[in-house]
Amino acid sequence: MNKKGKGRAGRKGVLPGFGLSLGFTVFYLSVLVLLPLSTIFINTAGMGWEKFFKTIFDPRVVASYKLSFGSSLIAGGINTVFGILLAWVLVRYQFPGKKLIDGLVDLPFALPTAVAGIALTTLYVPDGWIGRFLGFKVAFTPLGVIIALTFIGLPFVVRMVQPVLQNLEPELEEASASLGAGRAQTFWRVIFPELLPAALGGFALAFARSLGEYGSVVFISGNMPMKTEITPLLIMTKLEQYDYAGATAIAAVMLVISFILLLVINLLQWWSNRRYLEN
Amino acid sequence: MSIQIKNVSKRFGQFTALDQIDINVDTGELIALLGPSGSGKTSLLRIIAGLEAPDHGSILFHGENITSVNPKERGVGFVFQHYALFRHMTVFDNVAYGLKVRPRKTRPGKQEIKEKVKELLELVKLEAFAGRYPSQLSGGQRQRVALARALAVEPRVLLLDEPFGALDAKVRKELRRWLRKLHDEFNITSIFVTHDQEEALDVADRIVVMNQGKIEQQGSPEEVYEHPVSPFVYDFLGNFNLFHGRLKEGGLDYGQEQAEGERGSEPLKAVGYARPHDITIHREDIGGECIKAVVHYIHRVGPVVRIELKRIDTGEFLESEMMKEVFKELKLDAGEQVYIKPRELKVFIPEDYSI
Repeated sequence: MNKKGKGRAGRKGVLPGFGLSLGFTVFYLSVLVLLPLSTIFINTAGMGWEKFFKTIFDPRVVASYKLSFGSSLIAGGINTVFGILLAWVLVRYQFPGKKLIDGLVDLPFALPTAVAGIALTTLYVPDGWIGRFLGFKVAFTPLGVIIALTFIGLPFVVRMVQPVLQNLEPELEEASASLGAGRAQTFWRVIFPELLPAALGGFALAFARSLGEYGSVVFISGNMPMKTEITPLLIMTKLEQYDYAGATAIAAVMLVISFILLLVINLLQWWSNRRYLEN
Repeated sequence: MSIQIKNVSKRFGQFTALDQIDINVDTGELIALLGPSGSGKTSLLRIIAGLEAPDHGSILFHGENITSVNPKERGVGFVFQHYALFRHMTVFDNVAYGLKVRPRKTRPGKQEIKEKVKELLELVKLEAFAGRYPSQLSGGQRQRVALARALAVEPRVLLLDEPFGALDAKVRKELRRWLRKLHDEFNITSIFVTHDQEEALDVADRIVVMNQGKIEQQGSPEEVYEHPVSPFVYDFLGNFNLFHGRLKEGGLDYGQEQAEGERGSEPLKAVGYARPHDITIHREDIGGECIKAVVHYIHRVGPVVRIELKRIDTGEFLESEMMKEVFKELKLDAGEQVYIKPRELKVFIPEDYSI
């Protein structure tokens, strides 16, 4: 990519309209993203520091941060490992029903999240189809939250890694083998580094999606204060009590933390990409 | 390390890539597999490297059958046409890769690896680029890294798949010479695949010309160039002129007038081949079988002048090449009528006939 790709000074691209398209982009993002987000901070600003800190450091709220960020990170991690595996199987092997499985991967995108939540809860309650065989509780524990978030975050890593894997030259593996590397060495030293940036990108998306997830989680989590309440639920609760300022205060905290986390992930991605995208 | 390829066949679906190939390569030889695309040369190379398994036949390294041995244990250095460098590793790490992946017992120490890589990078004149990534190198430099990487594991056999195919003409020539030098210095057995006859003639000790999964001819560059056994080989090794005619005692009757109706019995039709530099041009009819022709076009650039001629009798185009000095003596111009004569004519008789 061209670092000075602003296309302004003298250099004309084949397609015209840089000014127009950039103007539209900025306008579009402002109306759609920046404006609604800024109202969160404006709304919060009305409540004063003391009340603000009291709201966001309320033990019940702090417990919900831990659950939300913790389970999102874990779910993202699970999705990264198994997403790479799924993408691998879908790209590398030919088998009957491959197209069907490929289509199934997208299902969590399409399903209304509440439906997913109810379905998962039915399965994992202590006398549910899966729950009755498990010696421990899944529904109404943080574990249930992680399962719901894993479900909705499934497609991201698969869809990010798949094209990269598809474009990977088979010669790289052959070169590695002819140089004396075993299969495991070839995977970890040659293939994995190629997949890492895409996997990180998928992880970031799955993580971001999980943080904001509400519908599928509230059924399976049981919403016990201090134990299985996720942050979006607390925001909903506050809204239902007409405590708008309180709701936006918590939302602001979430927003800032997730922004920082996504920034870190992006930096990691950029760092692992940087070496060979130069030039 | 000598290599024996015994009766190797390979099919891909309906397509026969290799059909009963037999080649013996002596230790220290540099062999070129020459042929058009689809002739099976790359498949053969991949089978030798173990990247592909033959349907029939066997591969022997130094008399030992290694047909079913894993590529990782064959001790083969393979250089790919598109380099296949690991782009997330520096030049240093690429070259060191083969040493680093060795099992702990045989893996050299860090310092040893460092010295070995340094030595190899010096050999390929890239010692200043050790810290760079492949994306920061030119095509020729990348191929040199690939070569150093393949040599790092001290292979018994070096296999190169169109190693210079993706490079421009000048770099190609330079690398070619340099491959010859490396081959001699390392004293290994090398096989390289190419579709460029000039490359094969220039570098190889022996050339194996392949066509449609079969060997057309094998021999030294001189042998193959001077004594091609088939029209295909003649065609593939350079430019040529065709002389259609009929067989007669002691040669080919290619002049149109004589060939027509002079003999009672039906003489055998055949085709004579002559390289452009074997076509001589004369101002006067010097007897023998001279053909009248008109100078059509003259390419004067370079030490060799190329002249396009048109036969007056048949209207066919011929090409002649001569040194500039000879050309100056002749003082030819486009449109002039001249007499031409092939100095040497290679006649291939259709397969079902014999004299």
